[in-house]
Amino acid sequence: MMSGYMEIALITIVGILFPVIAFVASWLLRPSHPNDEKFTIYECGEIALGGDSRKNIGIQFYLFALIFVIFDVEAIFLYPWAVSFGGLGAFAFIEMMIFIGVLVAGYAYAWKIGALEWVGDA
Amino acid sequence: MSYGLLIPELIIAASALIVLLAVFMKDGGKKFAGYVSIVALLVSLILVLKDGLVTPTPYFNDTIVIDPLSQIFNMIFLLVSLLVVIGGIRYNEDKPHAEIFYSLLLFATLGMMVVAISNDLIPLFVGFELASLATYPMAAFERTKRGIEASMKYFVIGALSSSLLLFGMSYIYGVAGTTNIPQIADALSLNLMKPASLLGLLFIVSGFGFKMALVPFHMWAVDVYDGAPHLVTALLSSASKKMAFVAAFKILVVGLIALRFDWYIGLALLAVLTMTLGNVVAAVQRSVKRMLAYSSVAHAGYIAIAFVVISKSLAEAEIALAGGILHIFSHALMNAGAFIVAAIIAAAVISKVKPGEEDNLDNYAGLGKIAPVTALMMAILMLSLGGVPPMFGFWSKAVIFLSAIKADLLWLAIIGVLNSALSLYYYARVVMYMYYRDPVIERVNEPLMYVLPVAIATMGVILLGLYPPTYEWAFEAARTLLMMGGIL
Repeated sequence: MMSGYMEIALITIVGILFPVIAFVASWLLRPSHPNDEKFTIYECGEIALGGDSRKNIGIQFYLFALIFVIFDVEAIFLYPWAVSFGGLGAFAFIEMMIFIGVLVAGYAYAWKIGALEWVGDA
Repeated sequence: MSYGLLIPELIIAASALIVLLAVFMKDGGKKFAGYVSIVALLVSLILVLKDGLVTPTPYFNDTIVIDPLSQIFNMIFLLVSLLVVIGGIRYNEDKPHAEIFYSLLLFATLGMMVVAISNDLIPLFVGFELASLATYPMAAFERTKRGIEASMKYFVIGALSSSLLLFGMSYIYGVAGTTNIPQIADALSLNLMKPASLLGLLFIVSGFGFKMALVPFHMWAVDVYDGAPHLVTALLSSASKKMAFVAAFKILVVGLIALRFDWYIGLALLAVLTMTLGNVVAAVQRSVKRMLAYSSVAHAGYIAIAFVVISKSLAEAEIALAGGILHIFSHALMNAGAFIVAAIIAAAVISKVKPGEEDNLDNYAGLGKIAPVTALMMAILMLSLGGVPPMFGFWSKAVIFLSAIKADLLWLAIIGVLNSALSLYYYARVVMYMYYRDPVIERVNEPLMYVLPVAIATMGVILLGLYPPTYEWAFEAARTLLMMGGIL
């Protein structure tokens, strides 16, 4: 019982020490030349919004993210299915076709009503 | 293994997708989507009725069981959805994106059916979420300010109740070590009074309490029922809320029986508060929609008497549960019918009198002359809601009160009867307005597609209470549930 928790404790300690050591080491080794560009907030490569984050963001980002998640989940299911396809037989094939068919129907609907047309920043 | 008993669910799932694809038709497929939904719901309903009281049949490693309890609830959900969809044909005539309405409605129905047939906490939660997520946007279907407000409130409260529910379930799982409901019953009875299992049940009670709109979790319900379109309100209060009851029956009955814990004082307080507050506040409403919303809170209180009786006396659990199921059934019919009547008034009468003043009771003045068929059906539905014999609403309430008396809870039955008497005041007031006030306009055309579902509901309310198999179904369903909980 105890040994199981010891491993978790070990991982916790390593997890805490790792960034601390990394930061301390780089603080000791690096040259220091601060400038404005370095102090801007990093936002996934986008131009930073600046201090005030209370801005409206186009609802389409959300829509695209949602449609993306659907295909992400599809990939998660497809991968193990493809790996063990040999042993599964025709039933699994039909099942997966139904699953993909459901997703395609939803995708076709989103396409038809124009959910994928980019209307620009709202 | 034969999947024959799952065909109703499969039909609903397939039709929900087909309805979406109606947008590819040249005319937008509005009519097509509506009629496909009607056919799908009708065929499923007939299949459920044909299979009737099946012997419990497990599927998918016992996570799903089709039994008399799930059959009677599937019948209720399909019937209510059918009524709403028939009304939807007329309602969607001037609305864009009718296919969304039908598709969401079918997905919501599917979610409710999954809750009714699940025998495991995981499918139960998935079905619960499917039904909830499909109904959130439906509340804002008209994109009016009030509709969006209603939808937002519904979403926030729904998210809260789902998280409470899930948190409670995680505690129950932690104690029982399984998500299978009958096995939970066994495991809990061995772990009597563990604080974790009590806490888990408490969270689950609160989670379902929101969906069932029991006082003090009812505040959202009235605003949502009021702000949503009439047909959506009919679905929310007659089907979505009933889904919470079947889920609560499954989990709480099993849990309460297993824990043998004296919860009845607390539950009785909940039931009494719910019906009294619902009725008192309904009595002072001027808007018929709000009145019906509060009355549906009050009816949840009557149904909650079943929980009280079960936790007080196991000997009377069967009749209490049967009464609860019967009242769920009768209230689903009466309430759906009454809300669709309100839709008729809004569409056919109010638009001619003073637009913008929807649902005010004054607009029902002289309805007996303006729209005689609608008025007659509304009168029958109102009297049934108030519990006037020989309507279904009387019989179902009578069974619940009888169970309370048999379980030595005479005081609770008396409070229930007094509440019924009070409720009759505001129900009868609608009838009085319809027949004893002078009409303000000439006779109007009553839209057939709105009248048809109300007529079906009214026929059900008149006939089902006098039709013995209704009671057979309810008692059989109650026995199944008790068997699941390990008694009988």
